[in-house]
Amino acid sequence: MALSLYVEQPSVLHQRHPIAKVLAMLLLFVATFVLDDPLMLAPLAVLVLCGAWVGKAFGILWRLRWIIGPVFVFTVLLWTVFYPVQANEPVTRAHAFRFGLGMATKLETFILTGLVFLATTTVEEFAYALTRLGVPYRASFVLTLAFRLVPVFLDAALTVRDAQRCRGLDFSRGGIVARIARYVPVIVPVFIGGLRRADQMAFALEVRGFSAERKRTTLPRAPVDEYDLLLVGVTLALAVLYLAFWIRGVGAVGSW
Amino acid sequence: MTGLSLSVRELHCRYLDPDTRALSGVSFSAAPGETVVVMGESGAGKSTLLRCINGLIPSLTAADCRGQIVLDAVPILGQPVGLLAGRVAMVFQDFDAQLFSTNVRLEVAFGPEQLGIPGAEIERRVAANLALVDLADCTTRDPSTLSGGQKQRLAVASILAMHPGLLLLDEAATDLDPAGRHDLYETLQRLRSGRLTMVAVEHEIDPIMGVDQLVLMQRGRVAGRGRPVELVHDLALFERCGVRPHDLALLGARLDIELPLEVDAAIERLRPRLPTGLASRQSAEGGRGLALGLGPVPRVILQVDQLGCTYGGAAPVLQNVTVGIGAGEFIALIGRNGCGKTTLAKHLNGLLRPEEGTVRLDGVDLQTLPLERVAPEVGYVFQNPDHQLFASTVAEEVAFGPRNFGLAGAELAQRVTDTLTAVDLLALRDEDPFLLNKGARQQLAVATVLAMAPRVLILDEPTTGLDYPQQRRMLDLLARLHAGGTSIIVITHSPWVVAEYAERALLVGEGSLLFDGPLAALLADDALLAAAAFELPPITRVARALGIEGRDVAAVARALGGGG
Repeated sequence: MALSLYVEQPSVLHQRHPIAKVLAMLLLFVATFVLDDPLMLAPLAVLVLCGAWVGKAFGILWRLRWIIGPVFVFTVLLWTVFYPVQANEPVTRAHAFRFGLGMATKLETFILTGLVFLATTTVEEFAYALTRLGVPYRASFVLTLAFRLVPVFLDAALTVRDAQRCRGLDFSRGGIVARIARYVPVIVPVFIGGLRRADQMAFALEVRGFSAERKRTTLPRAPVDEYDLLLVGVTLALAVLYLAFWIRGVGAVGSW
Repeated sequence: MTGLSLSVRELHCRYLDPDTRALSGVSFSAAPGETVVVMGESGAGKSTLLRCINGLIPSLTAADCRGQIVLDAVPILGQPVGLLAGRVAMVFQDFDAQLFSTNVRLEVAFGPEQLGIPGAEIERRVAANLALVDLADCTTRDPSTLSGGQKQRLAVASILAMHPGLLLLDEAATDLDPAGRHDLYETLQRLRSGRLTMVAVEHEIDPIMGVDQLVLMQRGRVAGRGRPVELVHDLALFERCGVRPHDLALLGARLDIELPLEVDAAIERLRPRLPTGLASRQSAEGGRGLALGLGPVPRVILQVDQLGCTYGGAAPVLQNVTVGIGAGEFIALIGRNGCGKTTLAKHLNGLLRPEEGTVRLDGVDLQTLPLERVAPEVGYVFQNPDHQLFASTVAEEVAFGPRNFGLAGAELAQRVTDTLTAVDLLALRDEDPFLLNKGARQQLAVATVLAMAPRVLILDEPTTGLDYPQQRRMLDLLARLHAGGTSIIVITHSPWVVAEYAERALLVGEGSLLFDGPLAALLADDALLAAAAFELPPITRVARALGIEGRDVAAVARALGGGG
């Protein structure tokens, strides 16, 4: 089982400086966050999909289609049904659907941006960028380590589930409370195993000098180049443009 | 790299929580470039000793330590582990828990980066050390995709890149298959010739006969110390320390002769002792002994036909596997790490559904049976006992399975008692499972499955991580179950376990069943053994060369006229 979303590829996005990629991701998040209109958000989603194509990350998106697809569908449905629409109000059910579509596009753009970033950036590059942007090294390392450990714990949980199924544990029987209670034989071993593993990992990190209290160095990296500047420049321009739309009220619900 | 001298003098260590004495006056020393191997049963203090040397104790584990540890004339006991990083390095048993980078190159660079080594020098060290462990072609690979042996060699390269003067190995070869173990030992041999000082905790005596010093520990004390060839004949010492003795030393004692410890020399020394009839037959057959065949063909319980599995990938994990599992068989399922053994085993009890082919239980296709119907018939004990233990007492843990299958009241209580009696854990029935030692937890894991009274019991590496007495207890338990009629399938990397206990072998390689037949036929086939990287134990090689039908030291000794 591959333990990270990162896939080594000879792509233009993979070769970008990690700081440029982190800044571009944050700027895209800002642009995506401020508006609700799906027509305004669609170009951003398309741009991110182009990024996935350039970064050869479609494999990851396909692998996670069971998350990406339902998130879109359910977000549209939920907002369409539950958006507060009242008689004699200017907001109609069509507005609600459009709002739901906007929310779904926004959510998917966030997810896809994050996935493209993780598919083209190693956790070490991520930690390096965060450190250079002022985040303490230990905090950035722990954050990036979490990305690697989530699949490990998922794998352990699946093994434990199989082990308990072999002992007759049936997760599909009974009501909701009974079903939740049946997860105790899974949760306890995963939790205890997680603690043991964390202990071992802490030992291994210490032996590798994690708290050596010396000034850290890194492997030589390619310097920031014009393509990195272009990436940050384009996303910065988008963020400024969308902030301007937001300030002027363009793309907000009431303007439709 | 230059090896550093190490001197441990009167080292005492007491853990503070819970209050436990772990080391009592341990002393030994290693000159620069020497290799010292530490052996002993679980709880003897081996890992504690290593962790005191590299500062993990008392830096990260609260303990009261007294005595002296001197590294190149500098006392280091109690120094923070971070300060020692770079001079003292350690490789752990669990290779997955010590790799945290996304590719091999970054993994090796991690340590030097923490030490502030200039980038260009890190680049040079990465290349040099990956070449040293034969991973130079894997720089961009995700460590999680490497084999167990490759991972452990990567762990070695990662700490060697920090240029330590002392390398500590805490059961580094334990989780590896024979091929991985062989590669790791070869790498360590290269380091020895490079004059790096090493202290290693090991379980097997045969691979470490060439080291400079062996330290045998018992209950936190040094029970014996010297060159392996000097200590190996003290069988009482080995037994006291819970270490499996060298086959040939034990055979020599049984025959009351001084037997060379090299297999070829031992064979020549023993040949004149062969009974006349056996000698002439052995001469005619060219020394192919071990004529252990299977008995009558047993009734088939599980039948696998044309099984194929890809896990959705392009390359098949298993293809065209056809095999039958009979009543009352003892089968060893062997092959290299990642060859598909566990995948095959999980198909046998319905945990995995066949993508191609069929698996039948008593003639019924498993596809048509829910797992709850199969699990009580075909029990599966996972490799890590901690993957299934959760209850607050040993008895509750054992009761969980049968209760799920409808057993209750006095019948359930009786089943729990019977099961705990069978695995020798009755006295611990009210203990907390998590407070048991690894061997007892492994026995309990078997008990949890055994309580469902399966006809077939599958065990995934049940002896890994156990010391010799614990391994023997586990294997004797399996032998008793087998004698009682249960079919046993053991996935194992331990050649002596296979040689002494199995009747039939299934060898899986590259997704196919490379061999299915009597164990003796496999042990006589050099090509297959090489394909499986399966190194025969010394006693098996002797028996094979002399044409003796014996699978352990006692049987070979009897055949040669000695006491069993």
